[in-house]
Amino acid sequence: MTNTIALEVKNLNAYFGDFRAVKDINLTYHKNTVNAIIGPSGCGKSTYIRCLNRIHEEVEDASVKGEVILGGKNIYAENADPVEVRKHIGMVFQKPNPFPSMSIFDNVTIGPKLWGEKDRTKLEEITENCLKKAALWDEVKDKLHQDGTSLSGGQQQRLCIARTLAIDPPIILMDEPTSALDPIATVKIEDLMNEIKKEYTVIVVTHNMQQARRIADYTSFFVLGDLIEHGLTSDIFTNPKEKKTEDYISGNFG
Amino acid sequence: MKIPYSKQDQYVYTALRFFSLVVVCLLIAIIFQLFMASKLAFDEFGLSFVTDDFWNPVDDEFGALAFIFGTVVTSILALLIAGPVSVFVAIYTNEFLPKKIASVLGLFVELIAAIPSIVFGLWGLYYLAPFVKNFLAPFLKKYLGFLPFFQGSSFGIGILTAAIILAIMIIPTITSVCREVFKSIPNLRKEAALGLGATKYEMVKIAILKPSFSGIMGALVLGLGRALGETMAVAMVIGNNPVISSSLFSAGATMASVMANEYAEADSELHLSALCYVGLLLFVVTFFVNLMARTIVWNNSRKSKR
Repeated sequence: MTNTIALEVKNLNAYFGDFRAVKDINLTYHKNTVNAIIGPSGCGKSTYIRCLNRIHEEVEDASVKGEVILGGKNIYAENADPVEVRKHIGMVFQKPNPFPSMSIFDNVTIGPKLWGEKDRTKLEEITENCLKKAALWDEVKDKLHQDGTSLSGGQQQRLCIARTLAIDPPIILMDEPTSALDPIATVKIEDLMNEIKKEYTVIVVTHNMQQARRIADYTSFFVLGDLIEHGLTSDIFTNPKEKKTEDYISGNFG
Repeated sequence: MKIPYSKQDQYVYTALRFFSLVVVCLLIAIIFQLFMASKLAFDEFGLSFVTDDFWNPVDDEFGALAFIFGTVVTSILALLIAGPVSVFVAIYTNEFLPKKIASVLGLFVELIAAIPSIVFGLWGLYYLAPFVKNFLAPFLKKYLGFLPFFQGSSFGIGILTAAIILAIMIIPTITSVCREVFKSIPNLRKEAALGLGATKYEMVKIAILKPSFSGIMGALVLGLGRALGETMAVAMVIGNNPVISSSLFSAGATMASVMANEYAEADSELHLSALCYVGLLLFVVTFFVNLMARTIVWNNSRKSKR
């Protein structure tokens, strides 16, 4: 069964200076699943997901202890290179953040270009492929050379997803990817997650419980840096084991 | 509709309006006076003053080309030296240093701007000039001597020394404007680059330098504006010889330096007027350079706020 494991988190702790924001997390993620992380604001869910591609440590004074195993290797091992890690674990952020003064084409291909892909046909192929997967191709195929920031918010976020898909990472992290979007754009992104899980493993932080219910195969519930409960989404929402989970999903706190 | 003011408000309003008007009138008055003072020279030489390169107070013959040349060459050269240094310092302090150390380093850079011009001049005369004469000039001549810029021998004072002094003086301006421009870039965009597997250097290139292009240009033009008008330090180290030479080792003179040097000793009216004409030219040039810089910086800050 080990070959179905995409990512394994062992005793993960995250700190801001002395403050321990994420406490002793142990979790296993399976391939081709969508995994939601829910919890009240300030529960450390964003911090946690930012540990999974080593971007948490880019914040001043932030540090991480513990292990995250990807393909048998600990990404926090002494000799692991964070730059290399991030090529295998992509990330989509809370607000759409395409690079300004870069065309749609350049935005999608920036990852492959960073690693030295120069072949124009190859890059065009990647662009078409990834924009199709991100369900954006039909809307932008005639204006690939316009500024990425000229698109609407929802389109920009799908552009950012295409940009992440272009580096072809087995794992894609999404940190509240729809919190800055309107409901229609949100639905599109949710459909998209469902679609891309055929090829990728998605871990998504969401403040919206209904969203977790709609899209996730598994759901984890965090409170104040602790993992309270993790399981099949259907179990978490219909048959939670913990009192806190039950209170949260029934709207009694959070 | 006019809003009715209370008595007190009316006094305050009148006072504010008065002082604001005084400032505007001052600017207009200075331009007008400069114009009047240079009228004699303008009537005598017309616009050919700008294209003639002889400057001979004894025979009352004046042309400002050599000074324009000196000003442009020293300023551009200063910009070429100070630009890259400032951009590197700004990136290093903003992106690679912990915030506390960065603010200390930033303070040090800005303190350079607090050093009086005359102190720079003395330092240039006693330390920089001998350094240029004994080390820098021979070095440049040895390796780049085939270029027309590094011909002849250096006496220490000259165009090159003046440009280096100017470069040091405009580094604080360019650095602090660049730091502001880089600071206005949201963290999210830097993380986007890092999240795609960019190294820190690549992140700086994609997420910081590329979108800041116009902001950096604005900072450079602002620095240029300062360099064009800088007087005292330049007058002390440039050699004050109005010649146009391709060699950077040669002595020269700038529009500002000739005014500082000759104004007190000018005895003919035409000489005085010619100096004022030079001043008018300098004013026009710096005015437009500053205007350009402000427009670029203003456009840039408006764009990044969106």
